Amino acid sequence: MADFLSNYSIQRWLESCPQGYLEDTVYGHRPDDHEPESMLDNDLLRESEIRSTVQLVAGERCALAASSGLINSAPDQASKAFLATQTLDEGRHVEIFTQRLYDLGVKPQDLEATITTYLNPHLAKFAEVLLEKVDKKDFVAGVVGQNIVLEGMAFSVFEMLQATHTETNPKFAHTLSGTIADERRHVGFGENRIGELIRRYPERKADVERMQRDMSKHMLATFHVAFSGSAAANEEAKRQMESGARPKTKAVYQGVDLSAVSTEEMEKVLASTVLGEFKTRLARIGLEYQSPL
Amino acid sequence: MSGQDDPHQLDASAFHRTVHSFEFWFEAVEGYLHGREYGVSPATQEVELSERQRESLITILCNYCVGETAALDASSGMIGFAPDRISKIFLSTQVVDEGRHLEVMLHRLGQLGVRDPEAEILQRANRSLLKFKERLLDFVHASDWEAAVLAQNVILECMEYTVFRYHAAHADPVTSEMLSGVVSDERRHMGFGENDLGRRLIVAPHAHERLLKIKRELDPLILDTFSETMGELGIEPASRPDLANEYLGAVARLGFQS
Repeated sequence: MADFLSNYSIQRWLESCPQGYLEDTVYGHRPDDHEPESMLDNDLLRESEIRSTVQLVAGERCALAASSGLINSAPDQASKAFLATQTLDEGRHVEIFTQRLYDLGVKPQDLEATITTYLNPHLAKFAEVLLEKVDKKDFVAGVVGQNIVLEGMAFSVFEMLQATHTETNPKFAHTLSGTIADERRHVGFGENRIGELIRRYPERKADVERMQRDMSKHMLATFHVAFSGSAAANEEAKRQMESGARPKTKAVYQGVDLSAVSTEEMEKVLASTVLGEFKTRLARIGLEYQSPL
Repeated sequence: MSGQDDPHQLDASAFHRTVHSFEFWFEAVEGYLHGREYGVSPATQEVELSERQRESLITILCNYCVGETAALDASSGMIGFAPDRISKIFLSTQVVDEGRHLEVMLHRLGQLGVRDPEAEILQRANRSLLKFKERLLDFVHASDWEAAVLAQNVILECMEYTVFRYHAAHADPVTSEMLSGVVSDERRHMGFGENDLGRRLIVAPHAHERLLKIKRELDPLILDTFSETMGELGIEPASRPDLANEYLGAVARLGFQS
């Protein structure tokens, strides 16, 4: 265990993250990058971006509360040190996505009201399930919920968003690339650390699997509401491309060109990707995926 | 980032957003951590320590680890009940600072030949410091923001700042450089505590009496820790620097007279 945990030390984190892929960035992107005018000038597209960014802020606030809350119940110093780096990663994510809301025109004094207005209620329930485990100082369930389920979902969502923004919005795509690198590290820790704990405490399996099922149910409901609500903006983006107001681009994710499909199909691709990842990762730590359906 | 060069040019709300941000933290630590593995540059050479010096340093570092673990557990726990998002983000930077301090000190213990630091810390921990840690975590578990900020960001950080600064000036080169980086962080944490409590006491001056009572309860624990640390550093009572008064003076400057 000691050797694996040495890969998650603060020293390693300093070298790879703030002194590595975040070097020379401001709020996670290149200093001269900006949100595209064609989106800022279009109320429908701008509101859609605000709505999706609000979900990112809410998800990261939950991750910040969870990772910091788990430090006290971590069973060893090396896990505490890793969770300290994760806490700062999540704090940084809250900051950069909040900054994006400001870049999209949200005023600082309207931040909380904007989040309340656009927050997906299913995402709030997803967070509640996780934070209940953290509040009970349940380290095993907390790390599975946070580092496998929440981070696994975030990882796939960020990858999909990055695919759709790489050509149309390099600023946001760059911001996402740093968060994806962070999430990869968090998921890696979860898999490595929890596998050993699940083997040691097999009696915890049933409770943790139940939590995964509940979180997955709320996650799928979150996706459904999010994609249904973005159909009009998706059509508007396609219309802009047809009219030449924005360049015709492809956004390939999991082999599907997202710029050419409906929001229902996008939802299907994302849900099947995330659930497939869950199955693989849970199997690696000795848990069986529980379908919420 | 605008305002990063001189945040004092910003209005009050932008000032707090800036100095409590990840961006500001990163700019601050980059200068004194870049190229320093576990807080020490490759050019810094070990000097040979006598067995007595090595034993004393191990005991002192074990006690520093108790303090840093207390700060790590407390600062992470405080995120859950911090009164605003900006304070949560600042605390996330403090969490990683405290985790780093613990890590560099454990690493130094390893360099000094300690194979099982957990057992060594248990054996060598100062009882007053353990009692202080217990009280600090009581405040955190009770979600008592003002008491937790006072105990952690004012009292504990002030004590560490005073002791580490003195120790860095007299330690072997590797320990000295490691502690100097830690001192730079402590200064930032004290600044947050001073600023936060200062603003709170302006609008709720009645809280001052309650906090003063908490400080009076914690002071003897801190002063006893000072005394023991001085002893471990091998300084005779007659020639000990007056760190206790230095600490009390620093806390008094934050508005908490003895």
